[in-house]
Amino acid sequence: MIECTLARMDFSLFDSIRWAATALIEVVVLALAIRQKLFDRLPFFAIYLCILVVNEGILWVTYSFTGISSHTSFYVYWTMQALQVTVRGVVVYEICRELISPYAGVWRLCRPFLVLMGLVLASTAVATARRRLHPISATTLVAERGLEFTVVGILILGLIFCRYYGVRIDRYVALIALGLGFYSAVQVANNTFLSEWLTGARFPIWEALRNASFNIATVFWLVALWKPLPARQAVPVLLTPGEYDRLAPQVTLRLRELNTRLLEMWK
Amino acid sequence: MTVSVATLALLAILVLLWLLFGSPTNESASSLDALQIERLLPSNCHHFPQITQMLKEEDRQFMRMRAQHHVERKWNAERRRILKQYLRGLGQDFVRVQRLARLVSALSPEIRKGQELEWMWLGLQFHVSYRMVELKLAFGSLSPEGLAELTGIITGVAEELEHRMSLIAESSPSRLRVNLGS
Repeated sequence: MIECTLARMDFSLFDSIRWAATALIEVVVLALAIRQKLFDRLPFFAIYLCILVVNEGILWVTYSFTGISSHTSFYVYWTMQALQVTVRGVVVYEICRELISPYAGVWRLCRPFLVLMGLVLASTAVATARRRLHPISATTLVAERGLEFTVVGILILGLIFCRYYGVRIDRYVALIALGLGFYSAVQVANNTFLSEWLTGARFPIWEALRNASFNIATVFWLVALWKPLPARQAVPVLLTPGEYDRLAPQVTLRLRELNTRLLEMWK
Repeated sequence: MTVSVATLALLAILVLLWLLFGSPTNESASSLDALQIERLLPSNCHHFPQITQMLKEEDRQFMRMRAQHHVERKWNAERRRILKQYLRGLGQDFVRVQRLARLVSALSPEIRKGQELEWMWLGLQFHVSYRMVELKLAFGSLSPEGLAELTGIITGVAEELEHRMSLIAESSPSRLRVNLGS
């Protein structure tokens, strides 16, 4: 019966084993997330892990009944991809919020930049995809590339803020972020190649790369959640509101003076 | 197109690795309680009196008149080396002051976008100008007076911050248990 199903799905034995292994890792990562009570800290990432497991089930059933090359499979696959990339975007925003929001002033400064960047990149992705109508698979690849680029962009911008203001990043958060960023960055390159060269043929190497990058990302998440999570960082005690206003003009004046003097010395 | 996007993706991964796991440039802004503020305050600019002593014009004239040419040349090279080290120290001092300013920003409930962008821009300008001055020093055309002005400004910023942090510590000693006396 399994052989019959695999034949209908147009899957080789190797593909099936790889898929089973991927699904197994996803289930383990989800189980670890539940055990480590990740829903309390990064709820959207935990939901994303649930979506991954459900996705495997839905695709398996769809491919079994309609075959991998059917229209139904195509639309189901890309609908699930759209859902996943959207949730990844939300997760990246959630990670930035988790890291920076304890620093109220910095978060107030950072949030509009993150939202703006997300909106601009996502709009660009949709606009670029709409211009490219044929073939439909190339259009979806261009759209996905744009959205993955949005994910990486938001993540890098948020992390630049963290580095600039010296915000500490716990190891498990760093590994989760690395997994998300790594997968999205590889997909940007991967989808560019496919959308440029797609002619109806399948590119096994690039498919393998896509799968391998996802597997690597899940391994990062597995490592992140393997050990018990550290205690939550203590909420920083903020200064009184007036301190910044009193200090900032003096420092600015000195810095300006210093730069002017340096420029004079250089000339 | 494909190659440039692939390069961009690779670059993005490297940047991510650096941002997530690279050695932190800043003191962690988790709390001021455990922070040693004196580690962030400038230390090199306090050595300026010794440096000015070393740079006195009379010494130069004495060497020019009494010492052999190769000895004078060696002496000048040594002076330039020390000046270069001192300039590097001043650069480190500036970075420390900047870190302290960022720390204050991080721990402030309200910060202004324009102000932060201006600090970022000034920091960038400083680094570029600093490299240029360094270059000038390497060619031996930087006067001790120029260096004295630079030192004065950095010391000024440091004193301002030190004073301000002391006031914060006085108003809420539990929040800032650090030694600001030194």
